[in-house]
Amino acid sequence: MSIFLDKDTRVIVQGITGKIGSVQTKWMLDYHTNVVGGVTPGKGGAKVEGLPVFDSVEQAVQETGANASVFFVPAPFVLDAFYETVDAGIPFIVVVPEHIPVHDVMKMRAYAHEKNVFALGPTTPGILVPGVGKMGIMPASLFVPGRVGIISRSGTLSYEFAGILSEVDVGQSTVLGMGADPVVLTNLSEILEKFESDGDTDGVVIVGEVGGEQEERAAEFIRDNMKKPVASYIAGRFAPQGKRMGHAGAIVRGSSGTFEGKQKAMDNAGVTMLASPIDVADWARGNNLR
Amino acid sequence: MRLQEYEAADIFEKAGIPVPRRRVVETTGEALSAAGEIGYPVVIKAQVLVGGRGLAGGIKTAKSPYELETQTDALLGSDIRGLPVNKILISQQIEIEKELYIGITVDGFTGKPVIVISTEGGVNIEKTARTAPDKIASVHVEPGRNFYPYQARTLFRKLKMSNRLLVSCADILVRLYKVFVQNEALIAEINPLVVQPNGGLLAVDAVLEIDNSAISRIKYSIPDFLGRIDNPLERRGKEIGVTYVDLDGDIGLISSGAGLGMASMDIIGERLRPANFMETGGGITEKLLYKCMELLMMKKGVRAAFINIYGGINPIHEGAKGVVRYIREHDIKIPIVAKALGNRQEETWEIFRNGGVHVVTEAATEKAIDRLCELLETN
Repeated sequence: MSIFLDKDTRVIVQGITGKIGSVQTKWMLDYHTNVVGGVTPGKGGAKVEGLPVFDSVEQAVQETGANASVFFVPAPFVLDAFYETVDAGIPFIVVVPEHIPVHDVMKMRAYAHEKNVFALGPTTPGILVPGVGKMGIMPASLFVPGRVGIISRSGTLSYEFAGILSEVDVGQSTVLGMGADPVVLTNLSEILEKFESDGDTDGVVIVGEVGGEQEERAAEFIRDNMKKPVASYIAGRFAPQGKRMGHAGAIVRGSSGTFEGKQKAMDNAGVTMLASPIDVADWARGNNLR
Repeated sequence: MRLQEYEAADIFEKAGIPVPRRRVVETTGEALSAAGEIGYPVVIKAQVLVGGRGLAGGIKTAKSPYELETQTDALLGSDIRGLPVNKILISQQIEIEKELYIGITVDGFTGKPVIVISTEGGVNIEKTARTAPDKIASVHVEPGRNFYPYQARTLFRKLKMSNRLLVSCADILVRLYKVFVQNEALIAEINPLVVQPNGGLLAVDAVLEIDNSAISRIKYSIPDFLGRIDNPLERRGKEIGVTYVDLDGDIGLISSGAGLGMASMDIIGERLRPANFMETGGGITEKLLYKCMELLMMKKGVRAAFINIYGGINPIHEGAKGVVRYIREHDIKIPIVAKALGNRQEETWEIFRNGGVHVVTEAATEKAIDRLCELLETN
């Protein structure tokens, strides 16, 4: 069973009555995720996909025993919803929305750390454990169960890597989006620590991109602490200076956040650098991962 | 979004940070009257957002109206590193005893604001960090908490500052921190903060970059957000709600995510030359992809296109309809390859194929670019 999400994970969907929230709830249920209810303030008593909707997270926890939450809350309301969820005692939160102000994210992150909450995002596709369930928006058809972990800054690229592995019969243990904003709720190195101790994972793929210093800092952790094989791909090699490449965090500023800097750090840590996503198949087979 | 210097200086001044007498102008006539009020000598600063503006010839001085006229005529309407100079700032020239640096940014790793100060102002702070790390001090601030004067004094004392200068520097830093928080900034910087011979301090440059995600809740209005984007294609991208980055090749690209878009750009770049980076995020509709195709074709000389989309949050079958409608209405003949996987993929392939788009059903983008190369060779 995955250390992140298993059959005992009882998921609520915040923003469940919204257009995206309700559609994604259906997809999550179709994938047999243990979704137990939803929250939209002002819509308490309603039903979505047969699930009860509550006015507050506190009520949802009392009534359903929820212990995980996935957010489809509009960006301006996320800070409030996040504080509410942490205060209601939920220890695992996935924040899918993008365009949340960075000053809000800094506050969310500080509070999550203070209260020992494991949170992913913002701007994450969420997390998917093949054959077990998913919290977020990952398209289930691309994933098969197996023993390779994938951590990605980008949603779409995590699908690409899983899809390439699945085509050559290499399955995945957990696929997780760490978020694509300048500040994320949990750093790459902390996520790697969990994968290193996950009994279901034999090797890890890091799908990074230009901007920030998550990959550089994680390289120090890998060098000193990881025994499992690690491969990494960094997107944005041809990204021009000073341009934001779609993600708020994907921007090269001077000598910071460059492709070369990340590649060098990963190389020095003994990580296998993948020149193109397709190379992940050979890496997995070369390391007898399946 | 980075504000122009004159806009940032106004915000700093309102926050009680001392800034030189100055006026922003658009003509030589206005420059002369501004300098008359301010008093010679003056500094003439092009309002363009490029790094190393001084080295690129964007900052001049004038001791007389004659000098001002010559300099201003040359500067207005010129280009600095590709950006047109439409506005210049006429500013009081001040005497410099010493130049300091103070800056605040978001530290992505700790998730906290970080304040950096240096006794070496007026130069690139990254360079000082390498060459003279003992002349730099920094401190992180807990998100959501105030930054107090004692914390600022503690920081400046690390650089051996004392007495009145210590207190006045600390005061300015506390005010800059308030500006940083109230304006939802990613960067707030004064470089240099000048110490005058009389001991007074002045913020001689002003940098303020605002978080795009927070613009809608900032209290003052920011004029002409879109007008700040100089490239017309990139501006059009913003208008329709996608990220477009103009590149110098001839292979058009539409992707449904930033990471996928960057990887596609890199894979195309290995063998061909990408014309653009374009990504839609999670907002795909029939209309949006129609407009994306229109934008892709706006760039001159595009000879092939690649569409790389995933159906996670996006209804890709709707997107495919928009692409195909554009192709039909505009009789597009260039080869177009699409890779579309995820929810409702079979339906999406059908729509693309019926519209004359070449569909690749494998997961690897590399395979789609193989196909694109084959098509270009046989064309």
